[in-house]
Parts: sequence; C-alpha cells; structure tokens
Amino acid sequence: MSGIDRRDFLKLVGAGGVGAGAGFMLAESIKHPVEHLIPYVVPPEEFSPGIATWYNTVCSMCSAGCGISVRTREGRAKKIEGNPAHPVSQGRLCAHGQAGLQVLYNPDRLTSPLLRTGGRESGDLIPITWEDGLSQVAERLSALRASGQGNGVCFLSEGVRGHLATLFELFMEQLGSDRLLHYDFAHPQTLYAAIDRLFGEQHLPYYDLRNTRYLLSFGADYLGSWISPVHHGLGFGHSRQGRDDVRGRFVQIEPRMSLSGAAADEWIAANPGTEGILALGLAKHIVDEGGYQGADRDAWAAALAPYTTAAVADQTGIPAATITRLADTFAGTQPSLAIGGGAAGNHGNGVDTLIAVNALNYLVGNLGQEGGLVFNPEPVVGQGSNARQASYRSMLELAEDARQGRIGVLIVNQTNPVFTLPAAAGFKAALAEIPLIVSLSSFMDETSAMADLILPSHSYLESWGDDFPEPGVGFSAGAVSQPVVSPLYNTRSTGDIILGLAQKLGFGAALPWPSMEEYLQDGWRKIHARGATNVDAESFEAFWIDVVKAGVWGENTRRETRSFTVDSSVIDSIGVEAPQFSGSSDDYPFILHPYLSIALHDGRGANLPWMQELPDPMTSVVYGSWVEMNPTTAEELGLTEGDLVEIESPHGRIAAPVYVYPAIMPNVIAMPIGQGHSEYGRYAKDRGANPIEILSPQMEPLTGSLAWSATRVRIIPTGRQVELLKTGGVSRELGREIIQTTGADQNAGGLAALHSIPITVVPT
Amino acid sequence: MSLVGDFLTRWRAYRKPGYIYGDEFDGARRDYDEFDYAWTMTIDLDRCTGCEACVTACQAENNIPIVGATAFAKGRQMQWIRIERYWEGEYPNAKLGFIPMLCQHCDAAPCETVCPVSATYHNQDGLNAQVYNRCIGTRSCAVYCPYEVRYFNYNNPVWDAPLAEQLNPDVTVREKGVMEKCTFCIQRIRQAKDHAKDDGRRRVRDGEVQPACVQTCPAEALIFGDRKDPESRVSISMNDPRAYRVLEELNTDPSVIYLKKVDDNAG
Repeated sequence: MSGIDRRDFLKLVGAGGVGAGAGFMLAESIKHPVEHLIPYVVPPEEFSPGIATWYNTVCSMCSAGCGISVRTREGRAKKIEGNPAHPVSQGRLCAHGQAGLQVLYNPDRLTSPLLRTGGRESGDLIPITWEDGLSQVAERLSALRASGQGNGVCFLSEGVRGHLATLFELFMEQLGSDRLLHYDFAHPQTLYAAIDRLFGEQHLPYYDLRNTRYLLSFGADYLGSWISPVHHGLGFGHSRQGRDDVRGRFVQIEPRMSLSGAAADEWIAANPGTEGILALGLAKHIVDEGGYQGADRDAWAAALAPYTTAAVADQTGIPAATITRLADTFAGTQPSLAIGGGAAGNHGNGVDTLIAVNALNYLVGNLGQEGGLVFNPEPVVGQGSNARQASYRSMLELAEDARQGRIGVLIVNQTNPVFTLPAAAGFKAALAEIPLIVSLSSFMDETSAMADLILPSHSYLESWGDDFPEPGVGFSAGAVSQPVVSPLYNTRSTGDIILGLAQKLGFGAALPWPSMEEYLQDGWRKIHARGATNVDAESFEAFWIDVVKAGVWGENTRRETRSFTVDSSVIDSIGVEAPQFSGSSDDYPFILHPYLSIALHDGRGANLPWMQELPDPMTSVVYGSWVEMNPTTAEELGLTEGDLVEIESPHGRIAAPVYVYPAIMPNVIAMPIGQGHSEYGRYAKDRGANPIEILSPQMEPLTGSLAWSATRVRIIPTGRQVELLKTGGVSRELGREIIQTTGADQNAGGLAALHSIPITVVPT
Repeated sequence: MSLVGDFLTRWRAYRKPGYIYGDEFDGARRDYDEFDYAWTMTIDLDRCTGCEACVTACQAENNIPIVGATAFAKGRQMQWIRIERYWEGEYPNAKLGFIPMLCQHCDAAPCETVCPVSATYHNQDGLNAQVYNRCIGTRSCAVYCPYEVRYFNYNNPVWDAPLAEQLNPDVTVREKGVMEKCTFCIQRIRQAKDHAKDDGRRRVRDGEVQPACVQTCPAEALIFGDRKDPESRVSISMNDPRAYRVLEELNTDPSVIYLKKVDDNAG
C-alpha cells in the first residue's frame, strides 16, 4: 500500500474503483508525502503500542549530573522525570532538566555533517557524508601528527566527566597534544582552588543542607543556579519542614536578591566583593569569643586581627550588631554550614573570599559532621571536573596561540566560547586565524557558525555515556546514560565520532573499541571489579544490565572522615583584599551584577521554547533581557519599567529595558545571562542582550578565572520605551492575604514523617 | 413544598460537594451520593522555593502550547500552574514571597454554575473538570474564577516540527476557542485507577497518583492524595495548624490547601 495514503485510497474508491484512470490517480497521490495507515502491522520488538517504556539515564542540561527516567511511548520520548533511586535528584527535577525533550526534538538541530564552501563569512554549508567528514578531519590531523605538530590540535569541550572524558584524554595523547580543554562559563573554579588551598582536597566537598540547622550562604544561589540546584532544593525542603523538632534557618548574603535570597529567612546586602571580608569578621568574632579552641587558636587570632567588627562593618556596609549576631548564631547553632559561590567567588579576590567562607566551617567544627561539610572520595573514573577546566587565562592563551598560528585544528564539542567570553577577549577574531575549525555541536551556535566542518553529535537522550556527579554526595555514585530513543537524524554520539577519527588515524591498539558503548562496557568492567556496590551481580553481563536498568550505581562505603588542622602557612596568609573594579566610579557609577538565568543557564537554554516562555522566578519576565535597578536609583535617573537604557562598561555597550527591582543595592545593577544570541536557532536568535559581552577582562590572580562580577558600568537612557513581557500585574498583595505567614511558634512541625514514606508511582 | 423552597433546597444541594440531596428529595435525581475520591493537594509555602520546575513539568505532561512573544504580550500565555510573586517592604527589608497558583478544584466552584453549556462540571472524584468538546468559548468561567487559573486557546496550538513528537498521547490537544485548565493530571488518576482494578483492589493507594508538578518539585513542597482517606499524607498535612485556603472568604471551598510560610524573624 506504499504510495497511497488513506485519503487517496478513499478518493480512488469514490472514483468508482481502481480502473482505467488509476495510473493518473496514483501519480497524483504520490505528490503527497507517504503516510502509512497502519504503521505497526509488524510491531517493533522494543515496545508495545499504548504502553509506556521507561529508560533511566543521566541529565546533561547542566553539570549537576541528576539521574533521570524518561518515559517513552511508541519509540518517542514523552516526559522526563527524576530517577527516584539516584542520590542527586531523588526523583525530582528542575525546569531546565524537564526541557531536555526540547533539545532532542528541537526544530533547529543539525541533521547531518556539514562542510563550509567558500569563506567563513560568506560561504554556504553543504551536507556531506560521515565518511567524507571524518576523512577530511583525519587527513588534517594525521598531517599535523606526521610533521610533529600534534600539539597544534586543540580539543575544546564542554565539561564532561566519566568515560567520555577519559576517551578524550586517550585520543589527545595519541595525537601528541596536551591542548585538551573543558570550558564552562559557570564552572566554580575559584571554589575548587579555595577548597584545595584550605583543606588540600582536589574535589568539591558535599555540603549537607538537608541536616543543617543554620546556613550562611555568601552569594551562592544554591536553589537557582549554583552547582546542583535540584539536590539543594531537596535539602532545603527537608531542612525546613522535614524534621519535627527543628526548622533550618537560612541567611543569604548578596548584593542582589536571588531565588535563594527570597527563600532565606534573612537577606543581607554586603557591598559587592566584600563577602569574604564579612566571613573573616565573623571568624574573628567567633575566635575571640572562644568559639574555636583548636591548638592553633593563636595563629588564627593573629591572622584575623585586622578584621575587627568595626572595620568589617565599615567595609561591608553591614551594621556591627548584625555581624556579631550572625557570628554568635553560626557558632551557637550546631550543625551549621557556610557556603560561598556565585558573585562572591567571581571577584578578583574570589579564592580568598571562598577560603574565608569555608574556614568558618572549619572553625566551628562543621567538617565531617552531619549537617556540615563532608569530603568526597576520589572520582571513580578520570580526574574529575576541575582537572581540564580552562580558566579565562587559558582561553586567552589559546586565543594568542591561534593568532600566532600555533593551532592547526580546533575541535569544539558542545561549548560556545564565542558567546560566553567577553568581547574584550578577542576570541572570535582569534578563531578566524585557525585553519580548520571542527564543531561537534548539535546546534548552530555562535562558535559553530565559525566552523569549517560540522560533525553534529547526538543529543544526550540518544547517546551512550556515564556520569559521576561532582560534587558527589559523600560516597561514590554514578550512572550510565543510555539512548532512550533511536537517533532522529544522521548524527553520531560524541564518543563514536572520536572513535571513528581514531580508526581513520590508525590508533589501533590504543583506542581499539568500535563504539562508545563497547568502550563504556570495558570501563565498567573495572568498576564491577571494585565490588561493594549497590548492584550485586556475579557476572559482568548481569551487573551491566542491572546498572543500566537502575540508572544508578553507588558504593556502600563512605569515606573515612579525616581529622586535620589547617596548614599554618594557610592560616598566616588568610585575608581578603578589598575588591577591585575596572573603570572609575565617577565615570561608571554602577557595579554590574550578571547572574545565571534559572531558565537559560549560561545561554545554552535559550533555544528551548519552554525556557523562553518560562517567567523568570524573580521578575516574571519572559522572552528577553532586562536590567534590574533599585527603585531609588531608577527614580534618580528618572527611569521607570520598560525604559530602554544602554549599559556601558569600559569594554562595550549593550541595551536593555529597565526593571525596577526592590531588593538590589542602589549602586548595583543586575542582568541575567542567557539571551543576546546572534545564532543558535529560531527561538534564541536576536533576542535581548548578552551582559558577558561587556565584561572587563579582569582575572582572579591564582586561578586565572574571569572576575565576572567586577565590572563597572554607566546607564545611558535612550528615551525609548519597550514593552517588558511578563506575567501578572500587581506586584504587591494589597491586603488580599494570598501568601499567609505564621510565627515560628505556630509551626507545629508534625509533617516530617510524610516525606519519609516511600512513594510508588504507577508507571503510566 | 413550594416551588421556591424546592428550588432553594435543590440549589443548596447542587452547590454542596458530592451533590447529596436531602431526604425530602427521595426519589429525585441523584448524580452520586458522595465523591469516590476527594483529590486534594497541599502546598507547603515554607518549602516552596519558586524555582518553577512545576511549571515546565506541567507543560510537558499536559501538551500545553507555547504561545510566542506576540500572544504573550496580549496576555494569552497558558500555564496551568504558575508561580505568583508578591513583594513586601522596601529595600533593604524587601521580601519576595512565592505561591504556586493552579486550579483550586473548588467544591463550590463559581466557574461551574456560570457555564451555559455545562462544559465545566464537578466529577465523581471531586475534580473540577472541563469537557473540551462541549466548550463553546464564552470565557464566562474565566471571568468568574477568582483565582484566574483558566486559560483560553486564542489560537490553534503550533508545534514546530518535530516538537510535536514529544506530545503526551494520553492527553488531548486542545484547539482554538476552547477553555482549558489544570486537571490534577486526570490521565494519571485514570491510569492509577485502572491499575488498582487490574490489581484486584477497589481503591487507589496513597501516593500512587502524582500529578506532574508534585512529582518534580525539588523541595517536596507539594503533596497530592485523597482526603477521604484519613491516613493519607494529604489528609495529615491539610490538618496541620498552618493550613489555609486562598481567598477563603469567597467560600469556594478549594481542594488546594496551602500551608503558611513560617516567618522566623524573631531572632
């Protein structure tokens, strides 16, 4: 019946049967695309029509590494839920993770390998075969390798962990290149450096929000965008109402109220960049009051001497009474927890700030405590998230190498530095000097638009892989990600592309695996051999099936809590410099506070229609950028909501409408990151502005990471008005008592048991 | 009995949840004596962080279309569950409160009495249900709803290919001219009932049904269940001293019960 659809068949019947005119009518009928009336005469084996099949895999929308369960029907992915067995997500998922389906089914996905003909600016992209595409890349790579210039190959990837990361290592080793970089805009590089310096740990600790009684968050928007929001959300909920006798108290210190600031019991605005000074002020008060009794108490007291309450109050702008109260409560409420990140870690003094914040945990004895800070074991596979992360400085070095002609081939995997680096870095111009740029992106983003050859990867829902979340949850855990649908297009998984190139280059014994799936299985044989895991299986085959099915693997052992004292050289060097901002405060009176959008993250979510139409939690704005300013600032400048202004830094100028924001310091203006794409598909393109573009190229000196909260700007009204698209109208309750509150004394707390009952959801 | 008395009693009975007719109506039409289930949701505002995971989960589960910037500007967006935000105080003491707002499944729903074609009605589970193919689009229900949680399809939904591959086959796609709203994920309720029946059970167990928003909530702020079961998690939580209903003075008798946010600023 191919060639005739149902409607045409009825037409034929209506015409009096298939007779003399049938030839003509058949010819007419095949003008339309062929539609089969009964597609499942021989039903595929993987599923039964009408019955949902669930596959457990791993979310790749951000670097948190949540385990997910994907509901599929008739071979299509229908819904993503959290995997209840996975320790990070525990059956829960954020808005961004839910929208993963729109990555898979995005109308703007690249559907086959593409080759640019003509120049980068003018040339067209024509579809080619995989064979052709891989051969072209392999040819260039082997030429470089043969002439001893293997190091001229640079592989720039998004942050990946697990076996994909080790595959990249092997591949680059064979090429003879050490230019393997991971680049994520939001990677908490300063936090890694602070933890390393203070505790001698190369990996992030687990912050136990769930069991804490008192949390001081210095700039970390842990519920919105910091590291692992779903897991933090679980911890927050439990800390609030999951214990009958105690309700966790949360304090947020930041210049602009974030989602976590709104959830906190107390929101405190310290002068931008002085969060670390505040932390040291608290530390001094705690040490002075006898809250710390370690042997090195005198060393701490000496190091903290300059941070008197009066001096700290002066620098941070926080009243002295508040400082002593915070310090007393922090020391007196056990277990307590101090976390730092976000804007506080993105100043020139970022590492020192985060050392100061985490030192608080040490001083009051939160290390290794339930409700405190727990160290994680070594990564199961590879070297973890931070080992290959490129700092801003290494990206500048890459750009310089490119300009000097030292880069022959650049392979870019799913990262978009042209969008997430400031214009001052000159990265885009440097790319133009690279003879061959290969992109493995699934979308035509700003960086892929510079590529000569595009070998599009599968989406994460079509690929094999694995992930070991970092920070872990205090014990070793991970999950295998498996394809949940057959590939939609003529794309390949990143691992398979690398293995395909390895074959063409004749790497043979070094990378012998024919596919990512087999490489993965080979790697998991070693994990099986470790034993002592949640999956108890004798044979590897049974183990593998169990791990893939469960969507989670974990070791039963926790790491021993080690006791230690902070090195005396670290104590002596403790201190936080006053923050440095580029531009004079006369010319540029405002400090720009860019923040990660909850819906769009660092811009990667901008091509998802659900995320574009998801009201920003704090402002309810959709489809565009805005600039937040304090009501008094707006009044002084004569601005109201919707007034289009230009935001000018010493390094550029962008335009956005004003949103009057009640909880931001008067000398700070804030902008969400994520919009302002010049490419990246129909939903993202030409919408809003990208604040990263105008950032000053200042660095934190130790890590070389971008100090992206340290730019000064001025506001230039344009006199034009634009409509700010947002939900709702009235931002105040006006006595309607819609959100009701009650005093702590009315909090009976008897609901803890409700969340400890295991829930079995009927699989639909 | 006088006609007026008859009418008033009938009216009161009609407005009473479960449509229980009084004794004087022996022999009168009985829709059902009481609800089979009384599906209820509690939302703990002390847990809610306003992260909007529920919003996207609902859109994914219920085939809610994206309307686009132009329609959004006209106030035509559709989000069966949304986060409302209210500011209180001024800098530096400004506070922002979040509240998830969805159809309250009122037992005395103003939207039900106003529909000229009975497209919206109360079903045997105590749900406020909408019959899409009966709706003629007068939008009266949306006007009468004090919670503003009814959404009208001003246009036929469009999914740029292949986004439609994601559509949930268990939920119909609504067309232009039809009112729609939160159903408490009735497709999941039906599935759970079928499952219970196949299992040889008469009733759905507590926790077997989770609407998409409840299932995804990272802070576990939402609890869903049957309040006819006194042991259910929702029954326990709705009897907490912090429980209240939004706009309670309107006597709409909502099935969504909020737990007050705790204001702990004594210390």
